This record gives sequence, structure tokens and C-alpha cells, in this order.
Amino acid sequence: MPDMTQPIIQTRDLRKVFRTVKRASGGLGALRTLFSREYEDRVAVADVTMSLAAGELVGYIGPNGAGKSTTIKMLTGILVPTSGSLEVAGIVPYEHRKENGRNIGVVFGQRSQLYWDLPLQESFELLRAIYAIPRDRYRQNLKDFVDILQMDDFLRTPVRQLSLGQRMRGDFAAAMLHDPKIVYLDEPTIGLDVVAKEAIRQFIAGINAQRGTTVILTTHDLADVERLCRRIVLIDRGTIIYDGDVERIKSEYGRYRTLVLRFGQAVESPQLDGAELASVEGTTARFRFDRNVARPDLLIRQAGDRYSVEDVTIEEPELESIIRRIYVEGYAGQGAATL
Amino acid sequence: MLAAYVEYWRINLLTMLEYRANFVMWFVFAVFYHGVALAALTVTMLQFPSMNGWNLREMFFLYALWMTAHELHNALFFNVVAVPEYIREGRFDRFLVRPFDTLFQVLTVPAQIFPDGLILAIVTLCFAVGVAGVRVDAFFVAFVPLVVMGGALIDLGISLVIATIAFWFIRVDTLRWVVMSLEQDFTRYPISIYTRAVGIVLSFVFPFAFMNYFPASYFLNKTDVALNLNPAVGLLTPAIGVAWVAVAYAFWRVGLRHYEGTGS
Repeated sequence: MPDMTQPIIQTRDLRKVFRTVKRASGGLGALRTLFSREYEDRVAVADVTMSLAAGELVGYIGPNGAGKSTTIKMLTGILVPTSGSLEVAGIVPYEHRKENGRNIGVVFGQRSQLYWDLPLQESFELLRAIYAIPRDRYRQNLKDFVDILQMDDFLRTPVRQLSLGQRMRGDFAAAMLHDPKIVYLDEPTIGLDVVAKEAIRQFIAGINAQRGTTVILTTHDLADVERLCRRIVLIDRGTIIYDGDVERIKSEYGRYRTLVLRFGQAVESPQLDGAELASVEGTTARFRFDRNVARPDLLIRQAGDRYSVEDVTIEEPELESIIRRIYVEGYAGQGAATL
Repeated sequence: MLAAYVEYWRINLLTMLEYRANFVMWFVFAVFYHGVALAALTVTMLQFPSMNGWNLREMFFLYALWMTAHELHNALFFNVVAVPEYIREGRFDRFLVRPFDTLFQVLTVPAQIFPDGLILAIVTLCFAVGVAGVRVDAFFVAFVPLVVMGGALIDLGISLVIATIAFWFIRVDTLRWVVMSLEQDFTRYPISIYTRAVGIVLSFVFPFAFMNYFPASYFLNKTDVALNLNPAVGLLTPAIGVAWVAVAYAFWRVGLRHYEGTGS
């Protein structure tokens, strides 16, 4: 079992600045660029301090260009940080890439780590040799993954002929064959259909629950996070703006519920005490109310007394709209970030 | 490491069988490519019976020696050439998250490489040895493979340096093209026909002359009139190959620390 007392991932004041040579324009621009000493600095990650316990499943969320991928690349040892410190399973990743490689598994949704021309099975065989996975362990893992991810049908197909969903399933198996302690999943469900998404989510939940694997998940699809993560870390402009429970963020920012009423006939500007009319469309009206102030059962009774109501629904706020609000309100007036 | 390398070759040969058409095309290309080069050499030599004391038969041996080293490089190390492409397309990242030397992983990406060119080269070399009348003794038989390996390592060292430059300047196609043409054009003739400056560059900067000119001079009992060196320096080829790769690998390690990917 993983040791829950020590953090498995620890970063302090982690920072990454990309330095590029300033490009001169004009006819001799390229030539001048070659000898130029003028640089342009782009701060991708300004200051990230966080700590993960072994066995956690954390959602790492942020708009495009917020610094998510750069953070992941530093954690995986791909990039060397500009400053700050980090330790993953007791190792500084970029200093000990080989040892770090044994501890981690990585899935980049946009880029496959499978070999394009090889059947899936041969890719796995090559990975077995690279990671020196003992044969018994390899067979057991492969059998498990083939079952869970239903890869039987396409195990002998060259990777380039696989559908995106099949390829992603192959990538997940490839990242997990060597029993990594930590897996980094960067946009693992991007572009997948609902069925494939669900299969992948089940797989992630499974490895976390059954094998105790620590998982960091970055995604644009907040349904992934809602379904899988108890904790989320929000990053914007290279800085962490929230780190904590999904439930807490929901109750803090998600105080508002929506009451949807469908009337027998159209009602012009309906009103309810304690709720605010959000919209009317035909016979359907939507009211917004603060669940700390108004009680939904009383609102419904009130509506029934005043109008002829045929149908009632109460909508919970989705994580997505909550997080969108955090980004917008946190940086109102400075060009709000979009999710 | 050995197990991984064996596995790589097993898979490589398997895919070769799967892509037979591709393999046949490569083979035809190799025959055509070297055929054209040798034909050009023959035509030139019909005009000049001797070039700085080298006749056609000897120059055939010179070419065959380079060809074998170069084809050995292509069979074992060809993937290094693809590094700038891996970097550009973001595929390089995956080599950095695995518990293996990055260069070794680059060399073991299955790319349907079959040593057909190498086999062709070895046949050509055997033939050239006979034609040029090289004295075949125990020393020759033992040392020629070392010269060929050294030559392949010189090739590797140079392609590794070019690949490493791609860590800073994503596009290095032009540089690679320049160095490759330098190699192809200047290894065809004895370097003594060029100016002294070119000779120095080919011996000490890009030591292509050690792939064929110096060892061939030694085996054919020629005197070096390019730099007035003792032709026995040709026996240094394996050492120069190892030294070049060691320096190139150190440079590669520096490059890895500066790797910044392509963003996103």
C-alpha cells in the first residue's frame, strides 16, 4: 500500500520561463535574428507550490496557456525548471530521468506513445523490454487491461489503423504496463465519444482505487473531474488560484440553483418571492435562487398557488459554470479567461 | 539493454516483412544510388587514367570502403537523422519519460530499417578488394571491420551533433544537407586533389577522410600527398570514431538539458 504520510509529489515556488530570441523583421531579418542578443521572456509557470499524497486523484485545471502542460512537463522530467524545487517519489525528475521513468506513466491525449507502424501488441512487447517488466507481471497486467479496456478485437491491428478511442485505450495500457506509482494524464479524453470517455473514466477510477496509483489529470472536460476527482487545483496565468475539495468549491461558488417551471399556458413575467426570474421562453420560466436563503419546496408551493404548473425541475450548477465564474470574476476587467 | 535491443530488431524485421514493397524499393534505390556514383567515377576516370596517383580500380576500393561504413551507419543509427522531426512534432517528449537512455531509445524506434544497403556494400567491398589488388592477409581481415565500424561512428558523431543543434534551432535541414553533400562529394576522390584547406577540414573538422582516404592509402601502400601524413594514421580510424561519438554524446547531453519542446 502507498505510504500516505509522505507527499509523493512536492513542488515549491516552481517556475518556468521560456526565452526566445526576438525575431527581427525585414529583408535581412533572418540574418539579424541569427546574431541578435535580444530575448523575449515568456513566463509559462510563475509560481506553483503544491503537494500530493500517495494515492490521490487530483484534477489540474486551467484555461489554455495557463501553464498546465508546462507544469506536467516539469513534473515528468521533460523540462528543466527555471527556478524552484520539485521532488517526485523522492527524486528530482529532470536530474534522474531514468529512475523517474520507472515511477511514472504518462498519457498525452494529443500524442500517442505507441509505435505507428506496429500492431498494438508489438508496441507493448517493446515497452516490456524497455521497462524490463518481469514476464509474469507483464502477462497479468496485459490480460487485465485487455479485459477492462476491451482491446481483444484490435490487439493485432497496426496502430495507424486504429480509431481514436481504440488508440487512447492502447495508450492507457501502454502507460500502465510497468505498474507506475504515479500517472500523468494530459487531456486523456479529448475528442472521444461518450462511450469511449466512460470506458476511460472507469479505467482511471479503477487503477486509482485498486492499485493505489496516484493520478494527476489535466482536462478541459470538467465532467471528467466531477466524475473522478475529490480534489482540484486551479491554475491561471502560471499561478495556483484554488487548491482544495471539489465539494467545497461547489458549495462556496455554487450557492445558486435554478428552478425551471413549465406552465399550462404562457405567463407574462411570472414572479416568485425569494427567487429571481432568469428567463422566459414560451411556457417555460427559469428562476435563480440562493439555496441558503430560499427553500425550494416553498418556492414550488408558491408557484403552484399563483400559476398552473405542469412540470418542475431544479438544476444543480455544473462544475463547469462554477469554474468559468471563478476565472471571469477573479480577473474581471482584464480580459476574462475562457474555459 | 541488450534484451531491448534484440526485441527492437525482432520487431524491425517483422515489420520489414509486412512492408515488403517498401523494402524492395529501398533496395532498388540503394543499388541505383551507388550505381550512379560508381558510373560517374568510371566516366571521369576514362578521361584521366590516374588522379594524383590513384587509378580507377583503387578509387573503386576507396568508394567501397566509404560505402560500407556509411551503410553500416544507416543500418544501425539512421534514426538520429529523424530527431529534429521528433522535436518539431513533439514526439521527442516520450523518450524523456522512460527509464532508458534517450539516445538509445531514439535508435530503437522501429522504422522498417533492413540492412539491405549494408549487405550490398559488403558485397561491393569484397569485389573492390579483388579488383584493386589489395593484399589480403590476416591483419587486413581483422582490421577492415574495425575501420568500417570506426567510419560508421564518425558518421554517427556528425549526425548526432547536427541533431543536437536542433534542441536550440528547431530547423536544421539546411545544415544537414550541406554536411551530407560535403560527405558524398568529397569522399568520392582522394582528398589530395583538393586544396590543403579542404583537406584539413575533411581530416580534422569533419573527419570523413578517416572513413576511406587514410585507411585506403594504408591498405594500398600509397603515400599521402594531401597533408604529408604517414598513411598509417588510417589505422586510427576506430579511435577517431570512438572519440567523435564521445564528444558528440557529451554535446547531446548538454542539449537535453536545454530541451524546451515545442510548447503546449
